[in-house]
Amino acid sequence: MGPAIDSASRVHVSGMGNGVFPVHGGGLSERNDNNNNNNKSNGHPFSCKNKLTALVVDSERVCRVLEKAFLLSFGVETEAVETGEAAVELIASGANFNLIVIDMFLPVMNGPETARQIRAMGVQSRILGITPMFDERDQQEFLAAGVDEFIEKPLSPEILIPILMELDNQI
Amino acid sequence: MDGVVQLQRQLADHTALLFHEGFLDEQFNQLQQLQDESNPDFVVEVVSLFFEDSDRLLNELAKALEQQTVDYKKVDAHVHQLKGSSSSIGAQRVQRVCIAFRNSCEEQNIEGCLKSLQQVKHEYSLVKTKLETLFKLEQQLIAAGGSFPTL
Repeated sequence: MGPAIDSASRVHVSGMGNGVFPVHGGGLSERNDNNNNNNKSNGHPFSCKNKLTALVVDSERVCRVLEKAFLLSFGVETEAVETGEAAVELIASGANFNLIVIDMFLPVMNGPETARQIRAMGVQSRILGITPMFDERDQQEFLAAGVDEFIEKPLSPEILIPILMELDNQI
Repeated sequence: MDGVVQLQRQLADHTALLFHEGFLDEQFNQLQQLQDESNPDFVVEVVSLFFEDSDRLLNELAKALEQQTVDYKKVDAHVHQLKGSSSSIGAQRVQRVCIAFRNSCEEQNIEGCLKSLQQVKHEYSLVKTKLETLFKLEQQLIAAGGSFPTL
C-alpha cells in the first residue's frame, strides 16, 4: 500500500506512452496491493448474505483445494475432508452444513455410500454429487443414495453460484 | 523500463497462446481469480500440486500397464483422478485425452490404453512446460518492477 508505489507505476506507464496493459493504481507492487479499489470478490460478483456452511468430501487433492477455495471466495465457511468416513464422523459429532459436496470416487466408502449414510442420519442439507467423468450408472447410483444433483467436475462458480443463491435465499 | 513493457507483451502473448491452442480453458481463469492479496501464490501452489500428483499418477499408470495381467480397474481409477485434477485447473487437452483413455480402459484394450498413455504424457509435458514458462515470465515481470496484467 503506498502512494509512492502508485505514482511510480503511473510514471512507468505514462513514461512509456502506452503500456500494453492498463496499469491500475498499486499495480506495480505486484499482487500485494492491487486490490485497493476492489475487495476480494473482484471477479466473483456474488457473495452470500447469510452465513452458509459447506463440507467438501474429495480424495483428489487438487480438486479438494480448489472446491474449498471457490466456496470460501463466496463467503461460505467450508471444511474439507478426504474420505466418506471422515465426513460421516464430522456430521455425527454435530457439525451442520448447508451444502455437502461429495466426489464419486473415495477410498473405502464411495461417494454414493457416503451420501446414503449421511441421509440416514437425517441430514437435510443440499447434497451435490460430483464426478471426474460423467457416467449414467454413477448418476443413478448417486441419485438413489439421496443426492440432489449430480455434476461432472470441475466445480466452477457457474455451477456453485445458482446453488448458493438458492440456499442463501432459503434462510 | 523497456524490459517491463517487453515482458508484459511476452506474458500477454504467451497467455493468449495457451488459451488459443486449447492448453487451458476458462477454468484456469477462475483459478486466477481466486488469487488475491491474502493468497498471492495461489495459482502457482495449486498448479504445483497438480504437477506432483500428475507425475505420480503417470508413473503408476505406466507401471500398471506393464503388468502381465493388467488391472483395468486400477488403471481406470488413475485415469479418473487425472481427469478430475486436470479439468479442475483447466488443463483442457490433458482432460480430453483422459476421456479416450477411459474408453480404451473400459474395452480392456491394451493397445488403446498404451497409446492413450503416450498421448496423455505428451499433452501433460506440453502444458507443464508452458505453465512453467508462464510462471517464469510472471516472476521476471515482478522482479523488473512491472505490474501484473489483470485478465
